[in-house]
Amino acid sequence: MDIFAFLYRGALAAYLVSTLTYLVSLFSRRVAPARIATWILAGAWGCHVLFFLGQWAVRGRNPFFGLPDSLSFFALVMAGAYLAFQFRTKTRVLGVFVSPAVFLLMIVASVGIGGPLTAPEILRGGLVSLHAMLSLIGEALFALASAAGLAYLIQDGLLKRRKASRLMKLFPPLRDLDRINHLCLLWGFPLLTLGIVAGAIWARTVWGSHWQWDPKQIWTLAAWLIYAVLLHQRLAIGWRGHKTALLSVAAFLVLLAALLVEQHFFTTIHRFN
Amino acid sequence: MNLLLLGMNHKTAPVEIRERLDIACTEGFSPLGEIRGLPGVEEALYLSTCNRVEILVRGREDAAVEERLRELIFRHGNLSGADLARCLYVYRDADAVRHLFRVAAGLDSLIMGEPQILGQVKDAYRRAVEEEATGIILNKLLHRAFRVAKRVRTETGVANHAVSVSYAAVELAKKIFGALRGQKILLVGAGEMSELAARHLLKHGGDRLFVANRTWERAVRMAAEFQGTAVEFPRLGEALREADIVITSTGAPGYIITGEMVAGALKRRQNRLLFIIDIAVPRDVDPRAGAMDNVYLYNIDDLQEIADENMAIRKEEAARGEEIVSAEAEEFRAWFDTLTVVPTIVSLREKAEAIAAGELERADTWLRNLDPAAREEAALLARAIVNKLLHDPMTTLKEETREGAARAYAAALRRLFRLDGTDGEQ
Repeated sequence: MDIFAFLYRGALAAYLVSTLTYLVSLFSRRVAPARIATWILAGAWGCHVLFFLGQWAVRGRNPFFGLPDSLSFFALVMAGAYLAFQFRTKTRVLGVFVSPAVFLLMIVASVGIGGPLTAPEILRGGLVSLHAMLSLIGEALFALASAAGLAYLIQDGLLKRRKASRLMKLFPPLRDLDRINHLCLLWGFPLLTLGIVAGAIWARTVWGSHWQWDPKQIWTLAAWLIYAVLLHQRLAIGWRGHKTALLSVAAFLVLLAALLVEQHFFTTIHRFN
Repeated sequence: MNLLLLGMNHKTAPVEIRERLDIACTEGFSPLGEIRGLPGVEEALYLSTCNRVEILVRGREDAAVEERLRELIFRHGNLSGADLARCLYVYRDADAVRHLFRVAAGLDSLIMGEPQILGQVKDAYRRAVEEEATGIILNKLLHRAFRVAKRVRTETGVANHAVSVSYAAVELAKKIFGALRGQKILLVGAGEMSELAARHLLKHGGDRLFVANRTWERAVRMAAEFQGTAVEFPRLGEALREADIVITSTGAPGYIITGEMVAGALKRRQNRLLFIIDIAVPRDVDPRAGAMDNVYLYNIDDLQEIADENMAIRKEEAARGEEIVSAEAEEFRAWFDTLTVVPTIVSLREKAEAIAAGELERADTWLRNLDPAAREEAALLARAIVNKLLHDPMTTLKEETREGAARAYAAALRRLFRLDGTDGEQ
């Protein structure tokens, strides 16, 4: 087993342990396990970063192409962004959503990661890498925004119920969740936009036009529009809290459809693996 | 261990009796000095709070010590024998350790898990140390007690759940706003409970306080007291746009803050979260406000119910605290057992070394004929035999400590080697 496979499996195992520890925290309604889970998650992320850099720099493999590699990168960004928020705001139990998502992505990715990468001729070029990288970072941040949104909806429901609850004590404060949601949208949106633009420019050079009316493109555009509205409402109208949380969860479901579902139900030219 | 603990608390003794004893102890005499002076008492600790009086002593194993302590309490407390029998509890050794641990951890308190008692135990200990009333055992015991209290606080939720209305409000505010730094608080009306809640919120980081009252002078006076700003009562709607946390407790018969006022304020607040605490009866705030997005409205019954449920949670958590207490009490007993082991090992070694030295001295006449190097060799040989011989029993004795059987072995060794002097037979 070479060093990279070892790092990947190490990260995968640590993500699993972190997920289980977060679940212990959730079901025992105690914050102490979540504290430990965060450190395990940080360790897993460290392994994951080494794996990623190794693939990219040492092996010269493009780490944004192919379903396995792009899922792994998605998970990396999501976990990294979460850890960054975690160390600033102590929203510990949010990891209950993030850690399992990251673990599942890694499991799916592990099927083909490190395998041969057969990129078609049209995908050679820096612009395509940029398109994939920016879109993936943007989408991972949106995933985090929706996790924060989901936690917000749960906490909001608990506070509206007006009963003492250990779950309420376990979950992070509303405003911290709202802030994470806000920052993820604020950074994710321009990145996804740039990613789409980079893809459109590239499409022009290989297919002769910016836009192909491909199902994946349409779904992504729909999600992008929802996010545009959401961000506008946040910044210009001052939407906050419950409504934005709800909308960011809904928008991510649309994005998820664009990312995953259409791979199986539609034929698309935007499929290279 | 020869530990003896006598005491009475809020469960066993009515307040008249506790205070009589406490007054006598704080005014008339130094209880520690007097307890310490009793024959048979070697170490002592005296703890007195408004909910309990506890006397802990270590001394000779002697029924008379308890009798003397009872007599002392009887005399100073001005109590009848029947009172004393009814109110006083007596714990010995392991039970005394456990009781002290429970007291320090707040598990024996009127309000389960309250933290003040730990400070009071620490003060009592400090006084005992200043008066040189404690020794090796009580020092260790008290430090253990502080550690137990800390463990119970951090490892269980026994102290984590607000059990008063005002603290329940602070806890909720933290679940909404996170850190309370920078939050603006609006206090409408006056009242003991609402002022207490405002004080707690300010203490936990709340930033600016606005006070509205039907009587302008009163608003100004209260604002001065809290270093806040007075707001004219008719401008309540405007204040509602600014505030993050609103506490109301007026005596008004109807709603002071209507649903329309809140809805109007929400539009201007850009959906900032609003936490309204309505302590008034009848209620000051239209309950419809609670159904609006980003508004969290709690009335006095909600808060009281939360405080009560939290009390139930604390009681559940107390069971985990008791487990910690049991484990730590067991550990303390194990430490206590080593106390008998260590002196035994020391005296055994001393005796063996004395024998070796004595024999070498007796052999001095013929040893002198040897050259210095050989003489050194002979001395080393004698010591080596002693060390080898003692090594196994000592190791066994040290290992036994953990299983708690050390006392029996130590006793046997003391007797076999006559370590307690020549009359070890009796």
